[in-house]
This record gives sequence, C-alpha cells and structure tokens, in this order.
Amino acid sequence: MLNAIRPKKRTVIAYLAIPVLLYIFTVFVPLLAALYYSFFNWKGGPKKEFNGLENYMALLSDSTFWASFSHNIYLVVICILGQIGIAFILVLLINSKLSRAKAIHRTFGFFPSTISAVCIGFIWMMIYDYNKGLLNWFLDTIGQHEKTQVWLNNPDLVMFLVSIPLIWQYIGYYMVILLSAVGSIDTEILESAEIDGANEIQKARFITLPLVKNTLLVCITLCIAGNMKAFDNILVMTKGGPGYSSMVMALYGYKVSFEQSNLGYGACISVGIFVLSLAVIGGSQLLMNYIMNDKYDREEAKLQKRIEKERVKKMKERARLEGGKR
Amino acid sequence: MAKEQPKIQAVKRPDTASQKVGKGLLGIVVNFILMAFSLSCIFPLVWMLYSSLKVKRVFNADIIGLPKNPTIENYVKILSNKDYHLGASMWNSARTTILSVALILLFAFIVGYILARIPFKLNRPLYVMFLMGMLIPIHSLLVPIYIIFSRTGLSNQWFTLLFPYVAFNLPISLFLVEGYVKGVPTAIEEAAAIDGSSFTRTLITIILPICKPILITVAIINVFGCWNEFSFALVLIKSSALQTVPLALKQFTGQFNADYPKIMAAMLLTMSPIVVLYFSFSKYIIKGMVAGAVKG
Repeated sequence: MLNAIRPKKRTVIAYLAIPVLLYIFTVFVPLLAALYYSFFNWKGGPKKEFNGLENYMALLSDSTFWASFSHNIYLVVICILGQIGIAFILVLLINSKLSRAKAIHRTFGFFPSTISAVCIGFIWMMIYDYNKGLLNWFLDTIGQHEKTQVWLNNPDLVMFLVSIPLIWQYIGYYMVILLSAVGSIDTEILESAEIDGANEIQKARFITLPLVKNTLLVCITLCIAGNMKAFDNILVMTKGGPGYSSMVMALYGYKVSFEQSNLGYGACISVGIFVLSLAVIGGSQLLMNYIMNDKYDREEAKLQKRIEKERVKKMKERARLEGGKR
Repeated sequence: MAKEQPKIQAVKRPDTASQKVGKGLLGIVVNFILMAFSLSCIFPLVWMLYSSLKVKRVFNADIIGLPKNPTIENYVKILSNKDYHLGASMWNSARTTILSVALILLFAFIVGYILARIPFKLNRPLYVMFLMGMLIPIHSLLVPIYIIFSRTGLSNQWFTLLFPYVAFNLPISLFLVEGYVKGVPTAIEEAAAIDGSSFTRTLITIILPICKPILITVAIINVFGCWNEFSFALVLIKSSALQTVPLALKQFTGQFNADYPKIMAAMLLTMSPIVVLYFSFSKYIIKGMVAGAVKG
C-alpha cells in the first residue's frame, strides 16, 4: 500500500543519520561510559586504576547514598499525596456548579510550573529566611514569635520544607491534566446519578474517580519520574544540608563528582541512580497494573458468575414453562 | 436532550430557604478555597514585582508593604553592570532555546514521520531505541555526560547545550509527531506520489502543513523546558560568558544573598520572556503541555 510513497533507502538514511547519531552520542555513549568508569578509581586526572567492584561495594554500604535514596522516595510519596491529592480535590471544587472564574484558576494555578526550579527555590528561600522571610513575618504578626526559627537549618524539618515548593509548583499542573480528563466525562452520567439522588461526594467517589483512573495513573507515573530526579530546587535551597539531611541521589552524585572530584565513584553512583530509578518506576508500574487488573478481574469474574446464574435460572424457567405447556 | 431538560427540572424539588442558605455558604467556602489557591500561585510574582521597586533598606524594614517611593534603581544597577552577566545570559538562553527548539522540531518531524510511515529494516529497532530513551532516568547521565563532553572537547562551547537539550527532548517530541502522523490518511501522500512529487517535496509541502498543530505543541513544551533547564547547564558550562539564565541567577544570588530586592529584580528580569509568553498564550500553552504530558 505504501510502496508508492516509499523513498529510496539512501534518502531515508540521509534523513535519519544526524538525529540518530546525535541521540546515540548524547544518551547511550555516556551511559556506557558511566558503566566503564565505574570500575575505576579515578579522580579526573590522567591516572586511573582499575579496581573491579570496589566502587560498587562502597556504594552498597554508603549510608549517605541510601539516605539520599530514601529522601527521593519520601519526595515521591509526599508529592503524590500532596500534588495529585490536592489537585484532585481542587478539580472537584472547580467542577462543582458553585465555583466561579474557572479560567482564572486554570491560568494562575498552572503558572508556577512554567518557571524554572531555580527561581522557585529562591522564592521559597526568601519565604523561609530567618530575618526577612514571609513565614517568620507571618508568625510574628500573629503573635507566635517563639515559633520562628532558621527553618532550613532544622534537620528534622528540612525534607518537609523543601518538598513544599515542589508540591506547590506542580499542583496546578496536575490540576489542569485532571481537569481535562474530568471535562471529557459525559455530563449525562453525572446528571443521571444526580437524579438517582447521589450527592457530590458520592458522585466524586463512584463516578468521577473511576472514570479518570487512567489519567490519575499517568499523573502518578509522571510524579514518580519527576521526583526521582529532584535536583535543582534542593541544590538552590539547601545544597543537601544541613549535613546530609536533605540530600537526594542526583545531588549526591554531583557533589561526589565535582566537589570531591571523585569521578570514578561518581560514575558508579550514576549507575546506581540509573538502576534504582528504573526499578522504582518499573516496580510502581507493575504494582499499579497488578492492583488494577486484579480488581478488574475480580469484578469481571463476579459479573460472569451472576450472568451465568441468571442464564441457568432462565433456562430452568423456560424448561419448566415448556414442560408445563406440554 | 433539549426537550428532556424541563422534565428533569420538574422532577427536582425546589430548594427550601434553609437549603438555599446552605448552598450559598458552601459556594462561598468553595470559591474561597479556590481563590486562595490561585492567589498563592500568583502572589510570589506580585510580591517580587512591587518589592523589586524598593531599595534594600526599605525592604528590610517592611517586607510585605507596598513601596512608598517606587524606584527602578535595582534594575538600572543590574543592567548597567556587565559583571553580573544577566543580559549576556539572557542572550545565551535565548540562542540556546531557539536553536534547540528549531532542531528538535526538525528532527522530531523527520524521524517521527519516517517511523510512522516508512517500513524498513531498522524501523522497529529505532522505535524501541527512542522508547528506551524515554525510560532512561536522564539525571543519571549528569556525571557521565560531563566526562564524555570534556574528553571530546565539546563542553563549554556556545553549542554545547544543544546536544543534551535536543537529544533528551527528541523522544517525547517525535512520538507526539508519530502519533499524529498515524492519524493522517495515507491517501494524501499516495496522491502526491502519483502526481510525481518526490519524497522530500511531499514531506515539506504536504505533510509539514498538516502537522502544524502538533509541531506547535512540541515547540511549546520545549521552549519552557530549554529556557528553564538547570542541571546540565550547571555541569557542562563553566565559563561565565556562556552561562544560561538559571546559572547566572544562581551566581548572582550567591553574590548578593542579603540584597533581596536586587535578587527579585534579577529574577523578574530573567523570567520576563517566559511570563509574557505564558500570559499572552496561556490557553494554548496549557493545552499543549497537557497534551504532551498525557500522551508522553
């Protein structure tokens, strides 16, 4: 069918060569290089020595690295709950008949996700600042002076504090994605539910939620991928500190490679980030599929059973009637 | 539909007075929450806008109040001093963004079209390769890409950032194009081929205009992505003359971490192209970003 438009092989190769080569050079070559250098003890100079799996052994027992990993997971969890949870509630509010000025909420809400993470980081640093920060100003104004503190220096709070800008930045983003999914729900379904006497919460739980399930899963996947690579905000706000209490994986790899100029170990950390991120993203994907399929299968099986029962009942009925006729 | 509408309303009981009050209160609460959210999203921008018109001393005395004698002193200082590199960084960012987006559009269009339409031996392998590229956690390339680029002498050049920006954004962009092209009937190209149009000519004069909507989406996603990108610029660019906006901002704030109004002025200045772009075309931008996110 497509033979008429099939170009010469040479033409195709000419068109594809540059983008494909550029792509391989920028993505796959560094990946292989990371694997290669991760087996060396290399400080960036001309001298490097092969040390086998030593880097990997060090990585496995590197508590800072695993703490960073757990911080990434913390961010993933808190952002799924914060970003997508709040976004979903806002979507329900916007879509209720009571809300006004929907376009404004959409435009304003989406705005933070278009500015750079560096700017977001600085804005929130100003909010958390001890002397001139909005947060301490607010606490002072409502008469809670004793609660003011140097916020980002508190190791117990710092992970929570750096996750707030992340959540805040992307609520609007997920809100808009979910809005478009909710908007494509047939209004007749909601109307008929309303006639049947469903209240707003029931409508949200039993109609809107199941119908936007797939979009929600997309959002969750985006959220996981996005937070496994958290870097810019945290570099700007705390540089991973105080100590290592807000360190994330990418930042740790960066610090080891460029501040301690330990490139061999840095390459090893990169491989670690690669493997762990893929595992988390892939694992969550499998888990979500499993939960969804399982539930679906169970309901499907239940339904099939009921249909079968009905059918048998009807057949018996018919047999009885026919028997009676005779 | 229209005929049934009155029937439904007739079935529904009219609200009693107390129900009406309840609904009104609920409406106030709902709108209040939504307004609070919207304001929190826009407030930092507004706060920075008027605070950047204060001098440091005035700001430190009152961080939230409106400026009594607004002054553009901060802006003048920032722009007149070449050491801050803010003007130069904006030019660098603009150049990098425009060139990256142009290359992404070109490559995504060509590769996306070929993958969607032309059957050849490497079609599937290439498809899988780009798909893998979407799954690869890009930030794990931060260190290795520095090693490769500094070894090959590609780091710290004016074109350095084009490589990662084009390569990392290519997969999602070309899959958007590919999906779009699949929805276009092949009859159009066949007709063109029968009329004697060459492959290249069909591609440029017939397919390109058809793909315009999806290419606009691709451009929107990538303009914001490239302008805001920080981590790879941080690793690959060392010379301050080549800094992009996020890098220059970081350096600038390091120098003046006590002078908030000045930092705010610098941030607003470097954000201004994005902010203007966003508020002029917010509808299309939101639509494009959502399409990119969901299909990706």
